[in-house]
Amino acid sequence: MELEKILKKVSKPGRYTGGEYGQVLKDKTQVSARVAFCFPDSYEIGMSNLGMRVLYNSLNLMPDVWCERTFSPLPDMESEMRAAGVPLYTLETFDSVKDFDFMAITLQYELCYTNALNLIELAGMPLRAADRDESFPIVVGGGPCTYNAEPLCEFFDVFSIGEGEQALCEMVRLYIDMKKSGSYSKKEYLRKLSHISGFYVPSLYEVSYAADGTVTGYSPLYPDVPAKVTKRIIGDMDKAPYPDKFVMPYIETVHDRITEEVYRGCIRGCRFCQAGMVYRPVREKSPETVNAQIKCLYENTGYEEASLLSLSISDYSKLSELTSMLLSWTDEKKVSLSLPSLRADTFSKELMDRISSVRQSGLTFAPEAGTPRLRDVINKNVTEEEILSACRLAFEGGKNSVKLYFMLGLPTETEEDLAGIAQLARKVADEYYRCEKRAKGRNVQVTVSCACFIPKPFTPFQWDAQDSTETLTAKQDYVRSLITDKRIRFNYHDARASRVEAALARGDRRMSEVLVEARKLGMSFDSWDEHFSYEKWEKAFENAGLDMGFYANREISAEAVLPWDVIDIGVTKQFLRREYEKSRRSEPTPNCREKCSGCGANRLGGVTRWCPKTSE
Amino acid sequence: MVPENIRIKFHKKGRLIYISHLDLCRTVCPAMIRAKIPVWYTEGYNPHPKMVFAQPLPLFVESRCELLDIRITEHIGCDEIEKRLRQALTPDLYVEEVYTGGAKFQEIEYAVYSVICDREFADAAVTVSDSGSLPAEKKVKTGTVTADILPQVRSLRRTGDNEIECVLSASASSYLNPVIFCKAVADKYRLGDVGSALNIVRTGWLKKDLTVFR
Repeated sequence: MELEKILKKVSKPGRYTGGEYGQVLKDKTQVSARVAFCFPDSYEIGMSNLGMRVLYNSLNLMPDVWCERTFSPLPDMESEMRAAGVPLYTLETFDSVKDFDFMAITLQYELCYTNALNLIELAGMPLRAADRDESFPIVVGGGPCTYNAEPLCEFFDVFSIGEGEQALCEMVRLYIDMKKSGSYSKKEYLRKLSHISGFYVPSLYEVSYAADGTVTGYSPLYPDVPAKVTKRIIGDMDKAPYPDKFVMPYIETVHDRITEEVYRGCIRGCRFCQAGMVYRPVREKSPETVNAQIKCLYENTGYEEASLLSLSISDYSKLSELTSMLLSWTDEKKVSLSLPSLRADTFSKELMDRISSVRQSGLTFAPEAGTPRLRDVINKNVTEEEILSACRLAFEGGKNSVKLYFMLGLPTETEEDLAGIAQLARKVADEYYRCEKRAKGRNVQVTVSCACFIPKPFTPFQWDAQDSTETLTAKQDYVRSLITDKRIRFNYHDARASRVEAALARGDRRMSEVLVEARKLGMSFDSWDEHFSYEKWEKAFENAGLDMGFYANREISAEAVLPWDVIDIGVTKQFLRREYEKSRRSEPTPNCREKCSGCGANRLGGVTRWCPKTSE
Repeated sequence: MVPENIRIKFHKKGRLIYISHLDLCRTVCPAMIRAKIPVWYTEGYNPHPKMVFAQPLPLFVESRCELLDIRITEHIGCDEIEKRLRQALTPDLYVEEVYTGGAKFQEIEYAVYSVICDREFADAAVTVSDSGSLPAEKKVKTGTVTADILPQVRSLRRTGDNEIECVLSASASSYLNPVIFCKAVADKYRLGDVGSALNIVRTGWLKKDLTVFR
């Protein structure tokens, strides 16, 4: 077989062979629809993704549906596949993706767009949806980037907006029903799909532009197509399907562990954070559910590490009950718990003691900004004292390294804010030596990691301009010049990659040309430093006749129609604007637990802990 | 109870030939937990199940005789362990037998391989023993060196039109990788790059006196 020969020539062939324990196998002749779930990045990254595990499980729970997996081949494998004429295939059956009913591509970050398009190419399909007839699978996109999927509209038949566990099953069910009744045609199917909440069929909308290139309006082509697409949510997290087993990779992946989602949404409302807005309203699982799911996954996977996932784990209202339940059995079974996303203000001695009873590496906190003023602007609501006391706790608990995350280029940022980053890092380092109970004989290591601010759709800062790359680079240099202390390490993100990300994040439909050009230039794996080429992106924009600065560095007026206005995430534009205005007054907003700020997400319903009762 | 030594004989085949030895080790650990085998853990800073493999298997080589030793802290019958492990592993990692009282791994002197190849390769391979020498490139710390590997080839015989059986050194002090052996044969007889067309299967182990190691 051609594939066998190829596999002996590429690095880590285990990425491409599947056959893992826990993969779902069904009888092809007994299912009515087959879904190829495609992750546009490497196997190692994709297999660690919880969303993929959840949706693979949900779809495969349907007896007449079979969902299989595929990932982006790395460049060495891709060229071997192209040379040997091996098309994109799924790991379960090695069947060609082109022969499936659905090609479902998850869009986790903007810099994977070129990989997503490359997957369509590798499957042997025309890139543009309009060029694909009935013989090709329906190409559906999902994941966080679909909140503004406009740059990809040309290539996808439909986008699933919001949480997919139920929605994707409904999408496949409609397909099967129409096929069985003989009423199926791709056109008719997409039209009907647009009637189901949460499905955005871009070809059913017309977009108008002003002379300067700004979007002036969206209109559905037919009266039965909704003017706005409302995102889907899971109402009751305790009742939502959750995998009882995982596909167990043979090769090492990014996270080989149990990932347990504890709740969705976030009570905080940091003004730069897209996840904090688009995943609202907050819906928690009960500690009993979380505990039972972890136990079940421990037995069925054999993983000895469990990670509790959420946007901010210390905000979980039942954290203490949950950790007690877990510790009643995890220590004995040698299962360690990891709690990513800790907030400095809610990090307690008790929590520290609970997680330090098992293996744990260094701790990470995200002050995001260097001064209290700027932290108020972004609504981070963490004081310097809280950060220092959290670090003190960590040091007393035996840690000698702390990572601090910041963002450069935030709206209203001044030189003082930048200097504040270096000062705060120094104070944290000093705190270590003030701490009597610190680990003896070891020096402290503070790592300052600075990302670049990216204005993201559906955030209060969506109207803000990103700093130019020159400004961002100058700011990075400035902060670095202030960090002279050997105990402090300074890392930062590539400002140019952040600019591309900003442009894609706020892109409109015209940007599809840029992506076509990018593929013509052979671009892929842009989220990997070694493959990212800013020069090629500049060229792609130039070839498409578009200006990257128009998307990344333009301040958008309050009245402007936004390319993503066609999507309704529950949180209203009015709320986002209110938050924007408060930010300019350095005025914080209380979190959902303290007071409802009327964001609008409770309209979507759901079993929510903090939202006022919904009107229905 | 005193930890009991258990030997597991398994096959590594199909899609598993693309998985490295290190990844195999990582795969087996959670499988022991899934199978609820009370494996004895090392008592160190980072406790982990104690597992000893007879020998790593090179990438792309299949095996019907991989051996893994574990220690268990509670008595379970070998049949039961076999049953549970089969359920906790994929068919490509097939557990053939579980037993106690195996000989020490240090007693392994040779490994037996079956090589499925084309006729030309088989014709060439069987003449190697009488050819005086078999130079092969070996990677060492300082780069690559060429060495004669013929002394490490214990015997060779044809077992079919497209198949040979070879017995190669596999002791701790002298180990010959079957992939290197096949490449050396191909190089010596100028057969080109045959690597991707060959199918190498490890079929058994021998002691110094050429009796079967178990």
